[in-house]
Amino acid sequence: MKRLLRGLLAATAFCASAALVGGGVDPAQATDLHTLVIGKSGDPDNLDPAVTMTNNSWTATYPAYERLVRFKVEDGRGTTEVEGELAESWTVNEDGTVWTFTLAGGHKFADGSPVDAEAVKFSFDRLLKIGKGPSDVFSSVEKVEAVDDRTVRFTLKEPFGPFLSTLVVDGAGIVNPAVMEHEVNGDMAQGYLADHSMGSGAFQVASWEKGQRIVMEPNPHYGGPEPFFEQVVIRIVKEATARRLQLEKGDLDIAEEIPVDQLSAMAEVPGVTIVDEPSFYVTYLYLNNERAPLDNVKVRQALSYAIDYQGIIDGILLGQGIQMRGAIPKGLWGHDPSVMQYEYDLEKAKALLAEAGVEDLKLSYLYAKTDPNWELIGLVLQQNLAPLGIEVELQEFAYPTMRDKLDTGDFDIAVGNWTPDYADPSMFMNFWFDSERHGLAGNRSFYTNPKVDELIREAATGSDQAERTKLYQEAQEIAVEEAAYVLLFQRNYQFAMRDDVEGYAYNPMLLQIWDFARMSKSE
Amino acid sequence: MSFLNIIRRRLVLLIFVVFGVSVVTFVISHMIPGDPARMMAGERASDETVAQMREALGLDRPLHIQYLTYVGDLLQGDFGVSIRTQRPVMDDILRFFPATIELAVAALLFAIVLGIPLGVLSAVAKDRGIDHLTRTLSVTGISTPAFWLGLLLIYLFYGQLGILPGSGRLAGNMSPPPFVTGFYTVDSLIAGDWAALRSALAHLILPALTLGFIHLGVVTRQIRSAMLEVLQEDYIRTAKASGLSRARIVLDHGLRNALIPSVTMIGLAFGDLLYGAVLTETVFAWPGMGNYVVESIAALDFPAIMGFTVVASTAYVLLNLLVDLTYMFLDPQIREIG
Repeated sequence: MKRLLRGLLAATAFCASAALVGGGVDPAQATDLHTLVIGKSGDPDNLDPAVTMTNNSWTATYPAYERLVRFKVEDGRGTTEVEGELAESWTVNEDGTVWTFTLAGGHKFADGSPVDAEAVKFSFDRLLKIGKGPSDVFSSVEKVEAVDDRTVRFTLKEPFGPFLSTLVVDGAGIVNPAVMEHEVNGDMAQGYLADHSMGSGAFQVASWEKGQRIVMEPNPHYGGPEPFFEQVVIRIVKEATARRLQLEKGDLDIAEEIPVDQLSAMAEVPGVTIVDEPSFYVTYLYLNNERAPLDNVKVRQALSYAIDYQGIIDGILLGQGIQMRGAIPKGLWGHDPSVMQYEYDLEKAKALLAEAGVEDLKLSYLYAKTDPNWELIGLVLQQNLAPLGIEVELQEFAYPTMRDKLDTGDFDIAVGNWTPDYADPSMFMNFWFDSERHGLAGNRSFYTNPKVDELIREAATGSDQAERTKLYQEAQEIAVEEAAYVLLFQRNYQFAMRDDVEGYAYNPMLLQIWDFARMSKSE
Repeated sequence: MSFLNIIRRRLVLLIFVVFGVSVVTFVISHMIPGDPARMMAGERASDETVAQMREALGLDRPLHIQYLTYVGDLLQGDFGVSIRTQRPVMDDILRFFPATIELAVAALLFAIVLGIPLGVLSAVAKDRGIDHLTRTLSVTGISTPAFWLGLLLIYLFYGQLGILPGSGRLAGNMSPPPFVTGFYTVDSLIAGDWAALRSALAHLILPALTLGFIHLGVVTRQIRSAMLEVLQEDYIRTAKASGLSRARIVLDHGLRNALIPSVTMIGLAFGDLLYGAVLTETVFAWPGMGNYVVESIAALDFPAIMGFTVVASTAYVLLNLLVDLTYMFLDPQIREIG
């Protein structure tokens, strides 16, 4: 019996130790000087610029392609103004419908062929023919013509003020026409570009092991200065704690999406730096303007006065954000620092509600788990509106269902986040307030005001920035006064980085996008 | 009933199971409100763009036509294109499914290889120190959340000791071995790439421990109680009386019989492991089906959901078949009487 016990014990111990050490130990290594390793929480969906709609994919696609224009970098900071990238100059006709670009020489695709006017025409034709999400911002484009090798002409169906700034988006990346060799069943090579790149950007996708990593290597024919990095690795590390640990140990150079409560602890770790910048990422409440009692402007105003904005920012964002002032966020041109801002004032709220002559209200609050803050905001709302005698019922749905309800207006109050696709106030003003965009398309409060419609539509077609700013600010004043939405906060964008990484220029329009070609590491 | 008959009958059953599951999943995933075309086109897209997408995805056609088209394609081995990733579902499944199976097999091996000796030990030394220890361990195993255990192991072995990797399937600077089975351990063995094999094994340890720990508890308890029962049987007493060694009695006569009920349990445990891998995969950034399915469901990506359901239900039926065959192998009575 003793012998048997001993034998079994030995077998158990052996198995346990074999399981622990038998596999051989290879702890992850610190990153190489000429390799940049980024840890992100989710796998990109698709790498075709004509298909993908997510910043998460743009981490790989944006540096792989060049566009006609790019955002200016001034004093190490990205701005929302554009300058030429592939284009060296451009002109626009009197009524803003014909844009003519002259291409700079010297830009080459990774196979060595030049980026010419044909390639630009091909890329936009392909984008529009595929007709998926990224084509939507170019719906005003009627045709693109290659006038000669270095001249390309865009004709628009109607004047579109933000046109130039739309050319910076990921979908406007110029694709090598040689990609058509990979076309299968008329798919315009979507199958191939889903996990390859064929651009003229500084880095090209070398491999993508789904769910694990994307490896990018320099474009040997890149038109700009030779990049410092010989390799960029985008690793998928789903769990935030694991990303944090790997960054702290030096296995990652950049860790995306670290929760705010962990960031402050990480800031204490030697070798780690936290990038913390104001963004255009805003969170706001949709008040259903078409449904009683929120169709009454006084009730909407009362709600706007009853909310403890700073409490939400301090309690939920741990102070990492600012209260919105107007719909156009701070930092974007057109922002009006003097527009009225609601503040927490319970007495005023009560008075407004009394004026409206309503009492014992019961309102639903629609949200999903998509953003963990949404539920917390709902709880604060419940508490904030209770003194007004308003009962808030939290209604949680799966996000696709929530979207459906937003589209049809089946809610009283709902919550949402918004980021602009291109750096133009129209992304806020025309989307949020135009009565033709009721529902998911943008005007999620179902707000209608003919005067506002008129102002913002005029602003959208103009091409003079000063004039457009004036029109937008006038419209904004009305819409804020009428409390179409509850404008909550503009949050900070944060990620953690090793402090030996240099050359990163933050741009609020390029979240999750790094200009690998301008970055380096010190020894 | 012969082995062949059983296999034949089960394969016919498989067709019905997969058909039934596919109809139910198809209907449910199309009934949930939410428009995948709008999801794909982007929330703010114009109605024209959304309509264009809906047409391209075939969503504008009646549901039964959509289903028939789907089944027609499926019979030709075409799982369709994922709405979320816009890549063929088959490609994704081929990448992600083997990773989950590899993890589940490793976890199960860990649970069995450690659980059976522990269970036997515990039964033989009933109510002694080692038994109490084992029972404590198995209760701990059953009640430890995988998420917490995973983070703890990462913190300890990767963060503090630095002897095991904390995430992924391979070291960051390595390329995976050429695709044959999709199991990195097997593929690196086939390719003779020892460095990749070592790395793949090292990356497998912590997730397999995490995922297997719950089942270690289950296996240990199951084997223990089965052993205790078997050891009371008359034939054990007979064996004892005829002077066989204690080891032979326990292992040959005891364990073999105690294993029979355990096989069913282990087969079911494997199914559990497949479905339960989601949390472990998340913690260890293991690129398996779990994450893929969760993201697909969140996006209402029904080609992907369908693809997974069809593959998983097939795997489940085949697994049950395997369990039954093992049963027959272990218990000659079943083989003969059937």
